[in-house]
Amino acid sequence: MTTPGTDERLREAFGALAAGVRADPDAYRRVSAGWRRRYRRRRLVLAILAAVVFAAADAVGLWALSQADPNTHVIFSDPDYRPVAPEQVDRIGQP
Amino acid sequence: MTEIGTGLRNAAARTEPDAGREAAVAELFEIHHLPLVRLAVLLGADDAEDVVAEAFYQLYRRWPRLHSPEAAATYLRSVVVNLTRMRIRHLQVVRKHAARTGDERAHVASGEERAVLRDDQKALVDAVRALPARQREALVLRFWLDLRESEIADAMGITAGSVKVHVSRGMAALSRTLEERR
Repeated sequence: MTTPGTDERLREAFGALAAGVRADPDAYRRVSAGWRRRYRRRRLVLAILAAVVFAAADAVGLWALSQADPNTHVIFSDPDYRPVAPEQVDRIGQP
Repeated sequence: MTEIGTGLRNAAARTEPDAGREAAVAELFEIHHLPLVRLAVLLGADDAEDVVAEAFYQLYRRWPRLHSPEAAATYLRSVVVNLTRMRIRHLQVVRKHAARTGDERAHVASGEERAVLRDDQKALVDAVRALPARQREALVLRFWLDLRESEIADAMGITAGSVKVHVSRGMAALSRTLEERR
């Protein structure tokens, strides 16, 4: 299907088109300033985002703790708890 | 080629995180900027310098994750190919929208570069630009950069078999176009 010489003509045409392309000689200074600025901004945004997420998690935790009833004991939850007099304490087995 | 190899070895020798990256990217920019702008133009990018600048930004950002400095050239080529394809697709959508809303402006395709071409070369370049994006990319990488099929496959993110298919279909389409012009 390929016309003989199409490869060569294609190479020539690409070469001629590419040879006409000129780049800005000052491109590096301009472009690198742009990408450094973008990189710094990106890191700043990421740092702010991390701080916001951390602060939000803190706030949610504090809110959840502040909602708890101070009279509800998690560890000693026996509803019939009564203080015991020293003479009523079972001493069997104690040294 | 030896210049490129030396440049990359020098780039690899620097290990300080930020200063090393700055120097290595500067060196790669010096070596690859113009060839990459040319590649973007051949692929049909209207804003070739912006595409290449974006590719270098991506390289700068991902420098710590790069396997080796030798991979940088391949990575840059791949980013330029993908970005150019995305920009062209975006422009096609914008133009389609503009045509629908009646706000269409004539597109002037890089007249400055085309001024140096002969008539037959202009016809060939126009025929290449009319090809589907994948075929155009495969032809430019194959016949301008003289890359191997595996390298083209890496740059385009496809298999070597698909590269063969794109090249042969592209060449067949070009031959048909050239035959019709005779």
